[in-house]
Amino acid sequence: MAQRHDEFLARGARVYGLSADTAPMNTAIVEKLALPFPVLSDPDRAEAITPLGFADEKDPRQISRPGTVIIDPDGEIAFSVTGRDYADRPDEDDLLEALEGLGLPATTQEPPELGESQPGEKAMAYEGLPHYFRAAKFAVLAVRGRYRHLSEEFADDTKRYVQMVERYLEALPAVEERRT
Amino acid sequence: MVTDFTVIDNAGMPWTLSEHLDAAAVVTFHRGDF
Repeated sequence: MAQRHDEFLARGARVYGLSADTAPMNTAIVEKLALPFPVLSDPDRAEAITPLGFADEKDPRQISRPGTVIIDPDGEIAFSVTGRDYADRPDEDDLLEALEGLGLPATTQEPPELGESQPGEKAMAYEGLPHYFRAAKFAVLAVRGRYRHLSEEFADDTKRYVQMVERYLEALPAVEERRT
Repeated sequence: MVTDFTVIDNAGMPWTLSEHLDAAAVVTFHRGDF
């Protein structure tokens, strides 16, 4: 989303991340990825995560399910998608197409103001990201190669996952540039 | 209509949805601690 932030703004939308992590943990993510938009905190899941249907009741860590909603200026939900797991990210083209349909004027979004920053215990250091993404890509390619003949859904799903990870890898130079 | 909500921004300050709906809001929910 950071890579295409300008495209969202051009279609009249500002971008926000949101999780049940604390504000300092989310600030650490903004810093790590040099995000041009804030990552908001709903630590009790009571304000936004649960009311909007993203509470993961099965997970003992009390975290949010992955997904995206588009809320139009009238406060109505114009688009909503929920991922099956952390590997299920929305297609940005789908989001932009939904925004195009709203016909909104372009807007702007200031970089987030940052306060205390404290990475979570399991947070991955920025330097680990390229290795993580490459490892994930090749692991899924190997499994895909072995079993894609068994299920078209499996073949399609693993193909989408690999394409998603490749987009993340392609985005890393831009992240590096934003960080400097 | 989405019920208005207040969460916490990266400066540790309250962030209320209705104060930011002069534009559409694309809110991406994360599992966190990445």
